[in-house]
Amino acid sequence: MIKWGEEEGKKDYAGIGKAIFAWSWLLLSDYHGEIIRTEEAFNTGALTFSYGTQEEVYAYVRQLSHEALAYLNSATADPTLSTADAYMFGGDLNKWKKFVYGVLARSFHHLTNKADYLTSYADSAVYYADLAMTSNTDNAMVKFASTGISGNSNFFGPLRGNLGSTGIATETAIRQSAFMANLMSGLNNAFPGVVDPRAIYLLRKNTNGTYKGLNPNKGQTVITANDRPESFWGITQAAGVNNTAPSNDANCRFLFRNNSEFPVITASEIQFMKAEGLFRKGDKPGALAAYKKGIELNFGMLISTYSTNVPSGELLTPAIRDAFTANPLVVPSSANLTLTHIMIQKYISLYIHGTFETWTDMRRYHYTDLDPQTGQQVYRDFAPPAGTDLYANNGGRLIYRLRPRFNSEYVWNLNELNRIGASALNYHTKEQWFSQP
Amino acid sequence: MRKTLRLLFGLALVMFLLPLSLLAQERTVTGTILSEDNKTPLAGVTVRVKGTKRITQTDANGKFTLKMNPGETLQVTYVGYQTEEIKPGDGAVGISLKTADNMLGEVVVTALDQKRNPRELGFAVQKLDGAEVAETQRENFLNGLGGRVAGLTITPTSGAAGASSQIVLRGFNSMALDNQPLFVIDGIIMDNSSINESGGGASLGLVETSARNINQTANRNTDYTNRMADINPNDIETITVLKGPEATALYGSQASSGAIVITTKKGKADGKFAVNYDNSFRFSKLTRFPEYSNKFSPGQNGLPENVFLYFGPEYAANTQKFDNVRNFFQTAFTHNHNLTAEYGKKNMTFRFSGSFLDQEGIAPENNYKRYSLKLTNNTKIGKFLEITPSITFIHSNNDKPKRGAGGYLLNLMIWPSTDDARDYLSGSGGKKLLYAAAPNSEIDNPFFNVNFNRGYDETNRYIATLGVNITPFKWLSISGRFGYDRFKSEGWSFFHPLSAILGRGTGGQQDNYYREYNGYNHTITATAKKSLGKFNFRLMGGTMWQDYKTQMYSVYGTNIVDSVNGQGQMVKNLQVISMDQIRQQMGDSSTTRATTRLRLNRGLLPPGGLYNYVLSRQLAFFGEFAVNYKNYIFLAYTHRFETSSIFPKDFRNYNYPAGSLSIIVSDMIPSLKKNNTLSYLKLRGSLASTARSSSPYANQSIFNNVTSSGGGFAYGFTNNNQFLEPEIQQTREMGFEVRMFRSRVGLDVTHYNTLNEKQIAENFRASYGTGYVLNTINVGSTRNKGLEIGLDVTLIKKTNFTWNTRFNFNKMRNEVVSLPANVPEFYISDTWLYGNARGGLVTGGPTTAITSYGYSRNAAGDILINPANGLPVIDANFRVRGDRNPDFTLGWVNNFKYKNWTLNFVWDLKVGGDIFNATDMYLTLQGVSKRTLDRYTPRVIQGVLNDGFQNSSNPTRNTISIIPAYSQGYYTLLPEEEFIEKDVNWFRMRDITLRYNFSENMIKRMGFLKTASFFITANDLILMTNYTGSDPSVNGNTSGTRGVGGFGFDYGNVPAPVSVNVGIRAGF
Repeated sequence: MIKWGEEEGKKDYAGIGKAIFAWSWLLLSDYHGEIIRTEEAFNTGALTFSYGTQEEVYAYVRQLSHEALAYLNSATADPTLSTADAYMFGGDLNKWKKFVYGVLARSFHHLTNKADYLTSYADSAVYYADLAMTSNTDNAMVKFASTGISGNSNFFGPLRGNLGSTGIATETAIRQSAFMANLMSGLNNAFPGVVDPRAIYLLRKNTNGTYKGLNPNKGQTVITANDRPESFWGITQAAGVNNTAPSNDANCRFLFRNNSEFPVITASEIQFMKAEGLFRKGDKPGALAAYKKGIELNFGMLISTYSTNVPSGELLTPAIRDAFTANPLVVPSSANLTLTHIMIQKYISLYIHGTFETWTDMRRYHYTDLDPQTGQQVYRDFAPPAGTDLYANNGGRLIYRLRPRFNSEYVWNLNELNRIGASALNYHTKEQWFSQP
Repeated sequence: MRKTLRLLFGLALVMFLLPLSLLAQERTVTGTILSEDNKTPLAGVTVRVKGTKRITQTDANGKFTLKMNPGETLQVTYVGYQTEEIKPGDGAVGISLKTADNMLGEVVVTALDQKRNPRELGFAVQKLDGAEVAETQRENFLNGLGGRVAGLTITPTSGAAGASSQIVLRGFNSMALDNQPLFVIDGIIMDNSSINESGGGASLGLVETSARNINQTANRNTDYTNRMADINPNDIETITVLKGPEATALYGSQASSGAIVITTKKGKADGKFAVNYDNSFRFSKLTRFPEYSNKFSPGQNGLPENVFLYFGPEYAANTQKFDNVRNFFQTAFTHNHNLTAEYGKKNMTFRFSGSFLDQEGIAPENNYKRYSLKLTNNTKIGKFLEITPSITFIHSNNDKPKRGAGGYLLNLMIWPSTDDARDYLSGSGGKKLLYAAAPNSEIDNPFFNVNFNRGYDETNRYIATLGVNITPFKWLSISGRFGYDRFKSEGWSFFHPLSAILGRGTGGQQDNYYREYNGYNHTITATAKKSLGKFNFRLMGGTMWQDYKTQMYSVYGTNIVDSVNGQGQMVKNLQVISMDQIRQQMGDSSTTRATTRLRLNRGLLPPGGLYNYVLSRQLAFFGEFAVNYKNYIFLAYTHRFETSSIFPKDFRNYNYPAGSLSIIVSDMIPSLKKNNTLSYLKLRGSLASTARSSSPYANQSIFNNVTSSGGGFAYGFTNNNQFLEPEIQQTREMGFEVRMFRSRVGLDVTHYNTLNEKQIAENFRASYGTGYVLNTINVGSTRNKGLEIGLDVTLIKKTNFTWNTRFNFNKMRNEVVSLPANVPEFYISDTWLYGNARGGLVTGGPTTAITSYGYSRNAAGDILINPANGLPVIDANFRVRGDRNPDFTLGWVNNFKYKNWTLNFVWDLKVGGDIFNATDMYLTLQGVSKRTLDRYTPRVIQGVLNDGFQNSSNPTRNTISIIPAYSQGYYTLLPEEEFIEKDVNWFRMRDITLRYNFSENMIKRMGFLKTASFFITANDLILMTNYTGSDPSVNGNTSGTRGVGGFGFDYGNVPAPVSVNVGIRAGF
């Protein structure tokens, strides 16, 4: 697409191509750490590939972003673009630019642990956050034609059936987590007693009408029958009920419908990035404003996009949103604002769709880092799996990356993997460059 | 038919009429026969009055005496010398015979339809008489070549009517491309393709539609006749086999695997109108079956159970059993008729030939028919111009059951012998079921299978050729060969709604395809000759243009019926459909439900989807410079420049040289021939570098349709490389030819060594860093060496009795020289037929390896035994565990002539070479293999326990006793290695023909006949082998599979039957 766009003089297509390339390359590196060198990737004549550092990838992502912006800034929208881009921005080049700025903001913001973060990256993160999406209409949302076939339906919808139709006894059944359910129910000490009205959108209740979740690797059998949450598709976990994927999404909400839009980068996420950046720079009032805006934007997105199949009595309204943000336990004074506030509200606002970005955030805080301000975990009450719940090869350590694809790299590119240490049994626990000091 | 009988009767009558001596004015002729030097008298020379039985031989002084009538001709024949005919005048006759090796008339046709004297060639060629091959009565003339040419390997896909055959010269060089030779008929390149279901590197084909598609059975279950089988064997005058690239360098990249150069028969310019008719009636019977046993009843671990597994108790002694296997196969009848008419005068000849073949398969519902018509003309216009136009029309069709997995043979073997398989319909007209409640859940009765799961093809092929020779000056000749080769094939594959191969909801499956091929090529050359003193020069330059188009259309659909109801009946539009209705609908793509239809390329672009269009073009220029000194030292150099559309622009133009040297030592040093022991000695050597071309479009990735939101197209996971280069093949060949004892013994020895580098591996797995899963890359190299020995001996040469014999010895060694270090194995996935065994290439291993799972062994080589159950530990890694390449092969051709009788036969010896007997593995897993007969005998598997001490100095010997009858895992958990049969030998009589030729005298009395003979020919009559399966000449894939292909993989194939042909030949 990029090559074609360049050859045909279609800068809009070339720019969008580069924008997607930048976003995906950053994601790929955050996922694996070291990846195949950019200049070698996609060489159809090569048999082996060497791996570059994550630092190089980050630099390349920024380069790609600026190239994308250069194209987008000088492009006129091609008449075909609204059709070609129907499932993302409908051909709106300004939204694509904001998307690129969002990628740039992420690329700087991920480096909070670097010694020179404040001097070298924080300003850039905030600067690009301000240029990125500011309202929910700017959100990068992938839409689905959903004509009843798997290929054009939401990954999490019942048609695709990707979320574990397995039975109650199976420990691998995919259900909401206890950490999230507790957060929504006021059981997390970061927001003690704060019942989150977004719960009905994001989570499923149980027979008792409460929100409970599972702990990793523990399965459902350890919780009492009436506390077992419905599946993400709203199938009750009561005994004797067939809990396979339903034939339609009439009782599915949020991302779990066949044609639900899927957020890629949201304005809410951008605000939380800005909040954390300003907080670290010492601008607490600025941080608080961004923090509050982040929560409001998340409410806004749920109201505008994800109200389908939410019981009418539990629908969110601006009034409910305002009541929620008026609670000082949620939005404290700027002096009382902590990283925990920002990171946990960001966690909620990225729930499910922003998993990878959340994982990046948690790795920056090494899952359990303490907030020096409070002496508590930044991710308060978050208990990562430990002991036998971790894979034996971890050696008790938590995961920091995914291994390169076995079928490809461990079979055909092993020499290079040996060089970067990827053949170590616990390679997946090796911390990535971005979160290192 | 009635006419034929009358003719036979007439011929039989003639046999009993004794020739009457004619009364005429005789005189006595005497004479002396001398050898070439005009000094040495030749003894034992046959002198005959032509067309009579008056024969004599010369005495020790070369003298003879014979009675002759005026006007008669003397014919002098002597082995090793040219035949002379003279009309003697008055007085004694003196004839000096020329030795045969100085024959100027003998020519072989080499590359570009150039005629050459064999002595000047610096490489090995082998020439066969078309009649010799036609005489085998094999409908696919390729199968008649077996054993007759050193270095030629022919592997028929199966014994079914219409089966394809893989032909390979000098073994395998390319690991992922076609290794079959180029076919050239009268100077024109012909298509010998067989549909390659695996689609080629470009991922064109029905890739996207579904795994059930006709083009997606990976060349396993459906066979498509290779197109060279279209050729009527009776039209072939000669077959010249150019084995190595040196010989074929002028043909370019297509001929890197050698070439088979065919000349067809032309009319004779003798002013006579001649008609020839011959026929053949063949009966074929399958005599070789995989060994199996029906001793045990259905069950598992010794207990009865209603399954198609035979690990139950032994059947009671009085159980009624049916011989389903023998009941299934039939004695097949084939008849073949050939009619030719010729007429020719001084400057113009015509030849017309027509042939009809109707071949029945040994399995029911298998049939192959072929009609062909050919008209050839040769006209000389003025002094300089000669043209040879020809047109050919061929129609063939083939009814074919499925083979391999899902075919009838395997089901036949595991059908319970307590059930008469012939009774395959239920009372209500559906599929009779033994155990299951629903028809789709029970394997198909083999009779049901051949009747209702089948395929059909038909092809109409038109070939038009034109040969032009212009000789404006004595020293200059210009020739052109122009040819159109065009065919249209259509066919289908059908699965019945009740078949177990389909799910209940599928409701039957119909695949139809249509394929059109248009090929055009021409070759134009100009040759100049000049002699300067003792040097003779020849300079040739020329051009070749090739243009080949293939279009393929296909539609696939299901739901021929709406559903299968609880009673196992088929329902459409709420009506119950009968089996007969289904039978009538077979092949009709409109019977499928419209919404289920998928077309090639998904029918995205209306109307009706896009067909696959494959176009390749090549332009070449070439030249040859040849010089000889005194006609005994020959040196030739050729160079070819090619431009091929298959490669990307930067790599599209390539060129390569070839050179050869030939020295006739016996002419250079004539004293060698002094004592009449050595008649001829030639040394030769040649070098060549050629290219190998990939499939079209392998250089550009193609877009696949995507179904994600908004649709459109995206790159698939198959990478077609935009930096693709041709493979580079380098060959050197050395050899010598000796003829001794007045050429009664001829020996031809050739050694060749081929290195094929930068191989184009298609569908090659490598790091996904390319952006793809399967790649097309120039990678790896293989070496192929071989020794070919041809020995011709005229053992007996008497007036009434001659015996010629020829041995064709061939030994090949191949090796994968290099694969990238990061690639443990490259394999052609088509060959991964069954279990975990496949044709895999591993660096340092043979190109023809079998890689598979095997036994785990300790350092001392003992099999490791699982301490928990006493069964072997499987090494689940594909390692080289067999090599399909034989140690050597020896063909032995015999021609006897006794008076009017001739007897010709070919023995074929193969020593070594391994076979993966997947059929036996399948039968073992099902409990019907003979190896499971002693299942009640307790045994301990020889080996050591895998208990941690296996590699110590004192490993624990296995002592766990197993009674396999109660623990069938003993059989079902065996590794594939166990079923690789090592060093499989065979000694088989390929073809034997006994023919009686009526003498001219006898025929004269018939009045209307000019020649007549009758014959009996048997094919595959004798097979002696140590192979436990039915026939070791097997191919698990079709000839469409690339690389080494599926030879040596035996899975559910019907072997060649024994056939006996009788027929007559008559000329009018």
